[in-house]
Amino acid sequence: MAESSVAMGSMRTVDEGRQQQPEYGRLMVEPEKCTGCRTCELFCSLKNHGEINPARSRIHVVRSQRDNVITTIPVVCQQCDEALCMAMCPAGALSRNLETYAVVVDTDKCLGCRTCVEVCPFGAPSVDPRTGKSDKCDLCGGDPTCVKYCSQEAIQFVSAEEESMTRKRDMADKYLEHLRTASTQAVV
Amino acid sequence: MSYLYGGKILRVDLTKGEIKIVPTERYASKYVGARGTNARLLYEAVDAKTEPFGPENIVCFGTGPLTGTTFPGCSRTDVMTKSPVTGLIGDCSFGGDWSVELKNAGWDHVVLEGKSPHPVYLYIRNDRVEIRDARPYWGLPNYEAQAKIRSDLKNENYKIVSIGPAGENLVTYASVHSNIGNSGSRTGIGAVMGSKNCKAIVVRGTKGIAVADPDAFLEACAEAHMHIRGTEAYAEYHEIGLLADELAYVQCGIECGGDAHETAPSFDGKFEYSDFNKRYGYKRTGCMGCPVHCMEAYNVPDAGATIISCELYPQLGAELRNYDELLWYRMVMQCHKQGVDNTSVATILQWLMTLWELGIIDESITDGYRMEWGNAEAIEGTFWNIVNRKGFGDILAQGMQVAADFMDDMITLEKRGGESTYYHAMQVNNNPMYGIVGRFHGQALAYSVGRRSDLISDLDMSEFGIVSAPIYPIWNDEEKQVFIEHETAEAIRLGGTPEAADPEGYKGKAGLVHDMGMTIGLPDTVGTCKWHTKFLYMYIDAPHYAKALTAGLGRTVSPEELVTASLRMRNLERALECKMGRRRENDTIPEKEFDKKVAHGYWKGKLGTSRAGLERMKSEYYLIRGWDLETGIPYKETLIEYGLGDVAQDLAALGILPGRTEGETARAMKDPTLAHILMDAEEKRSLAGRTTGGSGNGQESVADGEKAVVA
Repeated sequence: MAESSVAMGSMRTVDEGRQQQPEYGRLMVEPEKCTGCRTCELFCSLKNHGEINPARSRIHVVRSQRDNVITTIPVVCQQCDEALCMAMCPAGALSRNLETYAVVVDTDKCLGCRTCVEVCPFGAPSVDPRTGKSDKCDLCGGDPTCVKYCSQEAIQFVSAEEESMTRKRDMADKYLEHLRTASTQAVV
Repeated sequence: MSYLYGGKILRVDLTKGEIKIVPTERYASKYVGARGTNARLLYEAVDAKTEPFGPENIVCFGTGPLTGTTFPGCSRTDVMTKSPVTGLIGDCSFGGDWSVELKNAGWDHVVLEGKSPHPVYLYIRNDRVEIRDARPYWGLPNYEAQAKIRSDLKNENYKIVSIGPAGENLVTYASVHSNIGNSGSRTGIGAVMGSKNCKAIVVRGTKGIAVADPDAFLEACAEAHMHIRGTEAYAEYHEIGLLADELAYVQCGIECGGDAHETAPSFDGKFEYSDFNKRYGYKRTGCMGCPVHCMEAYNVPDAGATIISCELYPQLGAELRNYDELLWYRMVMQCHKQGVDNTSVATILQWLMTLWELGIIDESITDGYRMEWGNAEAIEGTFWNIVNRKGFGDILAQGMQVAADFMDDMITLEKRGGESTYYHAMQVNNNPMYGIVGRFHGQALAYSVGRRSDLISDLDMSEFGIVSAPIYPIWNDEEKQVFIEHETAEAIRLGGTPEAADPEGYKGKAGLVHDMGMTIGLPDTVGTCKWHTKFLYMYIDAPHYAKALTAGLGRTVSPEELVTASLRMRNLERALECKMGRRRENDTIPEKEFDKKVAHGYWKGKLGTSRAGLERMKSEYYLIRGWDLETGIPYKETLIEYGLGDVAQDLAALGILPGRTEGETARAMKDPTLAHILMDAEEKRSLAGRTTGGSGNGQESVADGEKAVVA
């Protein structure tokens, strides 16, 4: 895995931090664990804006309750390798922080034009209602607050490699469970 | 007051369609917020003459300084009114996320006054407040009405608290409901809202809550979160909610409602809630900002989806001997949707089933339904008749007293066995009791003196723990033993005598009930969830709240001043109830419960509260509270001590203000563990003075009396 990312890094030089990308911590979200308590939103706004205001949080729990069945999905910046927000920002206000690998906003440069909001495939950034500037997750400088207070561990801070392996392991567990049930049924 | 508070109270006169803004500071400096400020708002608005359904009654929705913040359990809204059920204070609280939205819109309280000429809803978006037409939503059940309002406003972010058809139809024990499963159910708040023609309060807030020292506040909140997450109780509630508790309560006879009449068939584990949970539960969920997630989300094919927690498990199930899980599930969901108190419905059905079994009532009274234990047709049919005010349901909707009067007129005294049908009603001041029985002494006291004529908020949780631990389904023997030892030590510490920890004892129980009431007053004033306190063994206490408030408000708040505010609120509530006519004799349990042994389960044939024992516990409780032993009204000195001088004047003007003559009360107020010793001495004195006996349980100890002299 390390080799391939080195190879990719040498092909594309826009983002030198990517060479070390597997080492960086990233937010791994597991929506099936989330209960929708929005503790992450409360703490995020307090940490990053000094006030408690879910409307200004950089992470949002999107809740759907069609037919009263609840699904809750935390939506937060994925710090994409090829970050569209960064590429498309007309003011060049977004850049990669090489310490944390987070895409960060330079509010002095930001025009508040909402391009980042529009191009993001997740809808993760937003324009802060108070400042009129783009506002997005910067991983709290490498120590994300939301992770600490999620009692469900629905958001975890892990390396890219660890995240890949967790997802694969989850998949494998499901597959094994399926096999086990199938074999029990066959015996019965 | 710009920090932590929204800073404004919204007063809405629905008769005139006028809106008034009052600064929160006028109340918060003394009453902190939520239930505390609500109590003061209600005190200023209502008295003995106020008709609960009259335009002069008010409904107060209140949040506190920690509501909507990062403090765990930040989601509570306290709702207070003059209750159509008891004619006294009606009060309940609900969680979810409505309160968080209200605070973020910049409002601490919303007070509904008057009566609208047609159905309306209150629309709040930050500073914008409008009274809007609710005719398109009138008649819709809660889930549907809220979905339609949100869809009409084209914004899923609106948070709504509403009433269902039961509230519109003035079913006296109707509830208010927010989102899915967040109900303010007890004492008929929904009916009062219905009498004002107010369908809902719809809120969206984006203004935020300011904090004086964000870093210190974050640290204080983080500490509280981690404290909760470190408790043993958390580990269980977080995984399985209150399923294990409810199962234990049912099986050990604490939660056995239906056995009010002891010949009723016993609950013997025919319906395992945890099994139901395994089959249909699809998610754990909970309120905003809470690490516990005490609620279970269910989706049952054909029946639909809802959220269930706590008391909703046994009430319409085991307590009615209703073992049809789908019927139980449908009924719980319909209580949400139609907006009616699950507890009241269950207790009223239980009452009818008891009367049926005793041969007192028949089909001629019950609209043709055979009120046999667990009869599906009777349960469902009677429920719908209550909600829609049809036939006998129309009478039942007016409460137990009205229904008893009606039945007494229809049935001969002989057929009733010489008693009123009300004798069999499990109620306190007409408020249908939880299935939790008053045969456990501490719980009997909690029911009697409870702040809204029920026991929640004044529970003796040590007793609860000691009696239920032996059969707690998920613990091994050692775990049970450790827990019982812990609660026993706690009971002795607070009650001052080993008898406080003895389920068969009476002395010292008052200290426990008083302490729980005082502790629960803390989250109730700061606007967070009482379950995080020792109420559910998670032990968030005054220092946690004080630390967060100090950081958040930017001024020193001491744990002591919060405790004082809690006690001030309780005395204000009591004074208001006394103004409305409550006296010592109203602090009681149903006649039928006296000396009744537990009918089923682990404690079968044991316990039972005696009349003398209850009186003894009440006396100790009044001593600790600083209330007059004869009338139960707070002493002048007590009210003045808590800064309620104007309240004392009001009671004096009514000619009901007692003055304290001796020093016993002052000593018991300072040290509740002395109460049992002082009462022993008091009983001895009255024994010596009169030839007739005192009200003790005959176990007075000479040593205790001597200690009293020393103390």
